Amino acid sequence: MSPATMAALFAVILLAIIVGFLVLSTYNAVIALRLRIDKAWANIDVALKQRFDQLPNLVEAVRGVMTWEQDVLSDVARARAAYSPTAPIPEQAATSVATSAAVRSLFAVVERYPEVRSAGNVMALQEEIERLEGIIADRRELYNDQVYRYNARIAQLPAVFLASMFGWRARPFFEASDAERLRPTAALDQGA
Amino acid sequence: MDFQAAAFAAAGVIVGLVLLVRGFGGYRTAAAIADTAPSRIASAAVGEILVSGVVEPAELTLISPLQSAPCVFYRARIDQSDGETMSNGYHEERSVGFRVRDESGELRVFPRGARFDIPNRFDEHTGAFGDEPAGLRLRAGPAFAQSLDHDAQVAALLTVHPAGGGLPSGRGGPGAWSAGLLSGMPGLPVRGRTRRYSEARIEPGEVVTILGRAMPFDQLPDPASADLAEGGDPLGSDPEIAADIAAARASGVLESNPAEAWGNAAIPGFGIGRPIREPELDEAANEPALAEPGDAARIERTFEIEPDALILAAGPDSPLVISFGGPAAAAGRHQREFLIGLLGAVLAIGSAMALAIMAAGVDR
Repeated sequence: MSPATMAALFAVILLAIIVGFLVLSTYNAVIALRLRIDKAWANIDVALKQRFDQLPNLVEAVRGVMTWEQDVLSDVARARAAYSPTAPIPEQAATSVATSAAVRSLFAVVERYPEVRSAGNVMALQEEIERLEGIIADRRELYNDQVYRYNARIAQLPAVFLASMFGWRARPFFEASDAERLRPTAALDQGA
Repeated sequence: MDFQAAAFAAAGVIVGLVLLVRGFGGYRTAAAIADTAPSRIASAAVGEILVSGVVEPAELTLISPLQSAPCVFYRARIDQSDGETMSNGYHEERSVGFRVRDESGELRVFPRGARFDIPNRFDEHTGAFGDEPAGLRLRAGPAFAQSLDHDAQVAALLTVHPAGGGLPSGRGGPGAWSAGLLSGMPGLPVRGRTRRYSEARIEPGEVVTILGRAMPFDQLPDPASADLAEGGDPLGSDPEIAADIAAARASGVLESNPAEAWGNAAIPGFGIGRPIREPELDEAANEPALAEPGDAARIERTFEIEPDALILAAGPDSPLVISFGGPAAAAGRHQREFLIGLLGAVLAIGSAMALAIMAAGVDR
C-alpha cells in the first residue's frame, strides 16, 4: 500500500470515527434526556401523592369550625378525588391546577377564622401543604424545562435523523389546556 | 527525507489525535450540562441533578499558593524553562467542602473525586531580567484558613481598611521566596531561564455550575473507609517492619495499643465525627472553656449535618463535575473543547498527508 493510500485511509477512518462518535453520543444523549424526563415526572408524582395524603387531614381539621364554608371544603375534596396517577399528563396537570386553586381558596377562607388558624395542627398542616405546593411548582418547572430540552434536541441536527429512525416523538408539557382548566372534576366523595 | 520535518509531522498526528480525544470528552460533558435542566436547590430531589449558584465556604477555606487568595479549590502550577526544555517544578490541586446557594436555598457539596472545570485565573511568567510577574503573592502561611460566617463577612465588608497597608500579615511577601514554594527550584535570574506561573481557583461568592448526585448525607460513602487501620495492620505484613515493631514494644518505646498511646484521642470519632464511647476524663485536668452561645450555634450549624439533609457528591455511577460560571458558560467552554478537537482531527489528517508526501519522495 502506497503512503498516499495509507494517508487517505487514515483520513477516512478518522472521519468515520468522528461521525460514529456523534451518532453514538447523540443516541445516548437522547436516551439520557428521556430518562431525565421520566425521573422529573416521577418526582412530581411523589409530591402530588404527598399532597393527596395531606389534604384529608387539613379538611378534617377545619371542617368542624367552618360549617358555613362547605363549598370551599367540597372544592378541595372534589379536586383531591380527581387525582389519578395513571391519567395522561395534561389531565393530571389540570387536576393539579384545580387542586392548587381549591387549596388557595381554602387558605384564604381560613384567614377569616382566627380560632381555626391559631390551632396548632392547622398551622402545621397549612405550612406543610404550602411547602408541597412550592415543591410541585418547582418540579413542574424542572419537568417542563427538561421536556423542552428533549423536544428541542430531537428536532435539531443530528438527532432529527435518529428521531425518525427510532420513533422518538415530542413529549407533552405539564400544563393544563384552557378547556381542562374549566373541566368539572370528580364527585365529592369519590376517593376521599 | 527531512527527518526534522517528518518528526514535526508525526508530532502533528499525535497532538491532533490527543486534541480529538479531549474534544470527545468535552462534547459529552457539554451535552450532559446542556441536556440537564437546572434544579432549584429547595426542591431538589435525590438523584442526578444540575445546580447553579454562588459558592459559600463551609468549615474552612484554602489559601491559594500563588496569589494567597481565599478559595475552596485551587490548581497551581509552576513550570521552569532553561531556554530549551520546560520542566514542571510544582503542581498542586486541592479542594475543601463548600456550600452552593441559589435564590431558594443552599446545598453542601463534598468535592471528593470531583472533576473541576475551572479556567486559569492567573497565568504569567517571569520577565526578561528574572523579575517576577505582577500579582504573584506566594503563600507564606498555612494552606487553610477558618472561613468567616455570614455576619463576619458582612462586618469585614463594612470595615474601612487603611489604604496602602501592604500585604496582610501571614500572606506572601519577599520573605516567602527563600522558604516557600520556590526553595526546591533553581534560582533566578539566569540568562534564558524563565518560570511560568498558572493558578485556577474558585473563590467564595463566585458562580459555579455543578452536575452531580444529590443524596441524603447519611448515604455519603464514609471517607473514614480510607483509614488504613481498618483494613488490618498493613505495616505488620512486612516481616522486617513487624520485627522492628515487636522490638520497639519489647523495649517499651511503643505502647501495645493506640488507647495506651493516645488516650481519648484514640477513640474512633473523637476528633472528627462522633466518638463511639465515653472518654475517660481526668479530674485534675483543666476544664476547657465553653463556647459562648453565639459561637456554639455557629459551630453547630457548621459541623452538624442532619442525616437526611440532601448533599451533593460524586456517585458510584455519576461523576461530580464542578464548572466555573453559569450553565451556558460551562457548556460553551466544553463545546469549544470539541471544536478544538475537530481542528485537532484536521491537524492529524494534514500531518498524515505531509508524512505521506515525504515518504513518497523517499520512495522515488
